[in-house]
Amino acid sequence: MLLAYRCALASERVTATAIEANEFPQLAQEMEVWAVPRIVVDGEPRWDGSVPEAEFIRRILSA
Amino acid sequence: MALLRPEEEAKVREWFAQLERPVELVVALGPEAAPPAGAREVDFGAEMVRVCEGLAELGDAVSCRVEQEPDGFPRYPAVSIRPDGRDAGVRYDGLPWGYELSSLVGAVVEAGRVEPTLRPESRAALEGLDRDLALDVFVTPT
Repeated sequence: MLLAYRCALASERVTATAIEANEFPQLAQEMEVWAVPRIVVDGEPRWDGSVPEAEFIRRILSA
Repeated sequence: MALLRPEEEAKVREWFAQLERPVELVVALGPEAAPPAGAREVDFGAEMVRVCEGLAELGDAVSCRVEQEPDGFPRYPAVSIRPDGRDAGVRYDGLPWGYELSSLVGAVVEAGRVEPTLRPESRAALEGLDRDLALDVFVTPT
């Protein structure tokens, strides 16, 4: 989660929101959250799990 | 019930004392989604206020403000973590239970830094962005 927050703090183009999946089950279902952390970029589910910073940046920019 | 164990609270106080700029927690309350099974007795909004006000008590640079249905919040309860009171797009939707409280604490610590903690090459890559990017990270309390 912190990587996403760091991206938002580093760029005015980026927003980062943690969403508590249990509290918003309908949204979690729509985003096919079966494991956490589930990363969603621009409303599209992308991947599950933590990745190193360089890979995180590569993935979000290529989404 | 205390927000943190004494040793955790001491650590958070230490981190918050090192913040380089003020961080405001804006708690947004409003109509909530149907509560998860087994959680019907939890007042999520009230608990969110308790958590954020509790964190604000741990550092002079951290403050907390509560608003009813403010603009820019699609879900309630939620908290916007704002460096120097500026909406930087850093938010936590839902109550940060258990381990996830560390995400909120971490967000405050990051927001309190003047210089972003990303590596220079990561910052350079983000500077090349020519469009807005919305990152949502689904989490669960553990």
